[in-house]
Amino acid sequence: MDLLVQLAARNLGRNRRRTILTVLTVAMGTGLLTVALSMLNGILVDALKFASAASGHVRIVDPDYARRDQLMPLAENMPDVATVVAAVEGQPGVLGAYAHIQAGVTGAREDQDIGENFSLLHGAPVAYYTEVLHLDDYVVSGRLPTARGEVAIGQTFAQELDVTVGGVVIVLGQTQDGSPSPARLQVVGVLDLGNKNVNRQSYVILEESQWMADIEGGATEVLVSTGDYARADKLAAQLRSLPATAAYDVAAWNERPPFDTLGSFLVAIRGIVAGIIVFITGLGVLNTMMMSVLERTNEIGVMRALGLTRRQTRELFFFEAITIAAIGGLVGVAGGGGAAFYLSRVGIHLGDAAAKAPAAVPIHETVYPHATLDTLVLAFFLGIAMAVVGGLLPAWRAANIEPVEAMRHRR
Amino acid sequence: MTTALLSLLLAARLAFAITVDEVLLQIDKNLTYEARDSSITMTVTKGSRVKSYKMRSYGRGQDEMAMEYLEPARDKGTKMLKKVDELWMYLPAIEKVQKLSGHLLRDDLMGSDMSYEDLMESSRWQKAYQGTIVAEEMMEGRKAWKIEMKARDTSVSYPTRIIWVDQASFIPVRQELYALQGMLLKTWLMQDIRKIEGREFPMKMVVEDQVQKGSRTEITFDRVSFQVALPEEVFSTRWLER
Repeated sequence: MDLLVQLAARNLGRNRRRTILTVLTVAMGTGLLTVALSMLNGILVDALKFASAASGHVRIVDPDYARRDQLMPLAENMPDVATVVAAVEGQPGVLGAYAHIQAGVTGAREDQDIGENFSLLHGAPVAYYTEVLHLDDYVVSGRLPTARGEVAIGQTFAQELDVTVGGVVIVLGQTQDGSPSPARLQVVGVLDLGNKNVNRQSYVILEESQWMADIEGGATEVLVSTGDYARADKLAAQLRSLPATAAYDVAAWNERPPFDTLGSFLVAIRGIVAGIIVFITGLGVLNTMMMSVLERTNEIGVMRALGLTRRQTRELFFFEAITIAAIGGLVGVAGGGGAAFYLSRVGIHLGDAAAKAPAAVPIHETVYPHATLDTLVLAFFLGIAMAVVGGLLPAWRAANIEPVEAMRHRR
Repeated sequence: MTTALLSLLLAARLAFAITVDEVLLQIDKNLTYEARDSSITMTVTKGSRVKSYKMRSYGRGQDEMAMEYLEPARDKGTKMLKKVDELWMYLPAIEKVQKLSGHLLRDDLMGSDMSYEDLMESSRWQKAYQGTIVAEEMMEGRKAWKIEMKARDTSVSYPTRIIWVDQASFIPVRQELYALQGMLLKTWLMQDIRKIEGREFPMKMVVEDQVQKGSRTEITFDRVSFQVALPEEVFSTRWLER
């Protein structure tokens, strides 16, 4: 075995230019993979974290609301929401429980016709906006609402209505019975959440939306936040056992659409991206390794004639491939990790492409890659996989060379 | 064979001696008033939830309609004014007249099974639809023409309507309203037809949403009068703000 390792090391040094080229191919593939996986982390995992928190790590709603939640039916509400919030807030693992109402509204300035500009109006305690959505970080002018008659609106909605902080908007929603429910609201803040769809939303305090929806003391949902969003299903099971939630539907974010299928979608996306990069880089390794085998056919024949078995021949080429992969992988992870770290500070502007992302799982127009340890380890081992994929065929071919024919081979 | 076919066509022609355009024109005329003043109770049922509204409504000709909500307390003072193709609403909570436009016109009227567009499109069937009398049937206990109506253009809310028109009163006692793809969206019944001040009038209407089952709106005319002098101001935006 030691002899084979020595032979492999010597062979790598014989044609340094080709070895460096192969190492660079693997390094580039691994680096690219590191950046791509970090990008996916930055875009999707962040979007998922935000979206799961925004819609409640655990959500408590009326069962009929849960069945038709896409329509946001105000009539299917929780009349005594304070009791549910109080019962949930004392539970271990709960960071906060917030009554929430969301409803589609149309908005206009006082001098405009109403009916052309739409917004999703949120009504919740201010703590939900600051502690869960961290909206105060996205205020570009003004502040968040703290009293009735005030609204903070997303930048897109503000532009559509052509209003700024201090302006007045007429918002027309509906009561839970479907009657028109208008409110004259002063714009106290404009927010930029980095996504055009999310920037069409607006935010008032809970009491304002309770009045608009005509659900005094109630809400359509209670959103529960927890420290570890990955364990939300355990918390949901715990909250289901409470008497205060017995009449309601209690579900963790990953038990509800669209999140229930998003986890496997994420894994699939990562798999597809990794698969493409591994395949292309593997082809590069295959090319240089195959050239090496063809160049060394005569030499392989001699070694086989001197007693090197087929298995040992295969192993010799595998050692070469693995060595290249290890060096290339380390270089790639270092380079890719460095690039991902740099991009995580300056960000990548996706522009209008991100604007089309749904508000339920928003992708920000500027994304920041996240190079985590598991991403680097995964990229390194996929780098090894690239070399194995690329080295498999040449090693097999080398092992099947007949010594006599190989020695006759013209170089 | 040809003679038999011709006889059949002649029999059909005699059976439907009135043309479909004449029927539609008569319906439009029948549901249009020089002046109308009425008190209305609207009851909206959505599953187990029932909500009632009381309104006073005024109408003049084909294009003008005004309405004021009297009950419940939250909606009291809400007013609507339709003039030709435009709809305004006075919202007392913000003390403001707003013109409704765009998608908002497709919203439900006070959570009922009628949309604002349903109000806008009334009494214009002869102009908006091309109809065919397809049968004569008994409907709601009355002998009726069954007419299939296809919209002349796609701007109307319901590209297809199938209506049953009472042959005695020219009131469409039943309507089925269809989407472009042929899905039945709503049924609309006109019942309790009475002779009021010399003209036939349905004192009760029932609209049911066929997509959202369990959703039903009953409109009952508690009082209706056609021989009234309505002040010009009623059909102006000034009236809305008063």
